[in-house]
Amino acid sequence: MNQALTLNGLSVAFGGFKAIKDVSLSVATGELRVLLGANGAGKTTLMDLVSGKIRSTEGSVRVFGQEITNWPEHRIARAGIGRKFQIPSVFRDLTVEQNIQVACCNKHPSVFANLRFGVSADRRRRIVEILELTGLVEVARKTAAFLSHGQTQWLELGMLMAQDPKVILLDEPTAGMTHAETSKTADIINRLKGRHTLLVVEHDMGFVREIAQHITVLHLGEVLAEGSVAEIENDARVRAAYLGSKGIS
Amino acid sequence: MALERKIQLAAYGLFIAALFLAPAFGDEFWLNRIAKYLVYGMLGVAIALTWGYAGILNLGQGLFFGMGAYMLAMSLKLASPTSLSQGSDTPVPDFMLWNAEPGAPTDLCCINKGSFLWLPFQHQWFGLAMGIVVPVVIAGVLGAVIFRKRISGVFVSIITLALVLLVRLVLVDAQPITNGFNGLTDLGWLTIGGIEFDPYSRATYYLCAASLSLTLIVARLLADTRASLILQAIRDDQLRARYLGFNVPVYQTFFFVVSAAIAGFAGMLYVVVTEFASPTFMDLSFSVTMVVWAAVGGRSSLLGACIGAILINMIEAQVSETEALVEAWKAIIGLIFVLVVLFMPRGLGGLAHALVARFQRDEQPSAPAAVGAARSETA
Repeated sequence: MNQALTLNGLSVAFGGFKAIKDVSLSVATGELRVLLGANGAGKTTLMDLVSGKIRSTEGSVRVFGQEITNWPEHRIARAGIGRKFQIPSVFRDLTVEQNIQVACCNKHPSVFANLRFGVSADRRRRIVEILELTGLVEVARKTAAFLSHGQTQWLELGMLMAQDPKVILLDEPTAGMTHAETSKTADIINRLKGRHTLLVVEHDMGFVREIAQHITVLHLGEVLAEGSVAEIENDARVRAAYLGSKGIS
Repeated sequence: MALERKIQLAAYGLFIAALFLAPAFGDEFWLNRIAKYLVYGMLGVAIALTWGYAGILNLGQGLFFGMGAYMLAMSLKLASPTSLSQGSDTPVPDFMLWNAEPGAPTDLCCINKGSFLWLPFQHQWFGLAMGIVVPVVIAGVLGAVIFRKRISGVFVSIITLALVLLVRLVLVDAQPITNGFNGLTDLGWLTIGGIEFDPYSRATYYLCAASLSLTLIVARLLADTRASLILQAIRDDQLRARYLGFNVPVYQTFFFVVSAAIAGFAGMLYVVVTEFASPTFMDLSFSVTMVVWAAVGGRSSLLGACIGAILINMIEAQVSETEALVEAWKAIIGLIFVLVVLFMPRGLGGLAHALVARFQRDEQPSAPAAVGAARSETA
């Protein structure tokens, strides 16, 4: 089975309003898939469905063939799905290092397995490696609440690396970032490519070009088109619905 | 070892040493009073563990304290000379006799409808065990329900607050078996391995000092585990923790239960020291007072919360017994609270942390040593 993530006829309705309608999607192992769509197209809702934040009304979600539809969040996470939120969400009162350390503990997530002190040398090295990859070495001892917006985003990416899930969902990883920060984020994401399967929601088309292989376009809760960057750029329906007549600028 | 860690260890060491040296400086009466404050110190630790580390503000900690107290008090009541000399095979508490219906047999099994519940408490060990088991079970069930339902913040406080009042009501209402408002008085002494714990003896003081030390050490060790770090992460952002694969309610319930066990333990000691158990332990004001102790001492510091509890009670006793201040002592204590909350929002413990951090900055202005070392390791 080389499909990492498979959605089959996934639907959700909120009080009669169908936010996601019969979405089927299949992401191959190691692929980076970008989800594109206008506001309200259902991108974040789709991620919420996959990660268990909201329960679907129809359809199924599978990770490497394992059915995880409507499981509680922590079990979906254990099944191998990691998620980064649109609004960066880190543990604000812990230091940067501790944030990553917590994410590292997820191999044995029960209370009793964690009634131990300190971290192993292996894990220690991994934490330092992640701090270096995300450029957070200088602020390792800083409380996460005092990080800049960009640093907070990178910290959350670092936590994902520590968690090391098979499938990573990224919700607008460059939202609110400067140009320099965006390109550094693209670096980090390109490094995740191959090792992990990624599903990325993004608006910034320049950024999408930098990282994307395949794009799926959502429109009003349905899959509108799917294909390579070039195919999507030239798709008339996508232009009409989302990109505007000028294409990817 | 980091400087901060050394200072922390030294603080714990000094405090525990002081506990065991105190008997050299006062008489038995004074020691009895201090022993009572040490029990309050344990409550401070219990509050800090849930409030500071888990972000769970329990406004009903008195429930666990009271349960612990009543369980042991029942055993000690049956061991008292009056209960033993009622002329029956089994000891019978005096209040049951006073309220017995005419013709009721003078026997613990059936003097009234509920009195059989007292039977196992004839064994002191049963009372001691129940003093921990009952709070733990209540906390376990309560925690599992509350946290699985994802109730958090102020709503947890409201539920715990309501629960302690509810149990207090039931306790007072079950007068035939609890002696209602009057509580359980005229108790026997706790006897363990031939040692009788006379409340006005050094043995009892040492029992409390040892219990507090043990509580502090266990709580400190627990706070240093990875589980505690994950718990703090959960406090900061539950959802994030869930998405990392942690079963959040289990973590919260676990620490809630530990806190309840400490409170139950403290309740039992309180009975040994003061020789009574009463529904006032479950008064709202008592549970709130515990939270205030922890706030003054520093909710995110176990030792701070413990010292806060002891210090406030010492000041309170001192002020309320000074003739000139007899009328004003409540205002003075209130003023201390207000000043602490205004100027030291993280309490005494937070103040100590800030001082250490400042000292550390002066010592080594360069990048943190540990990270530097870690970097060279991979280089």
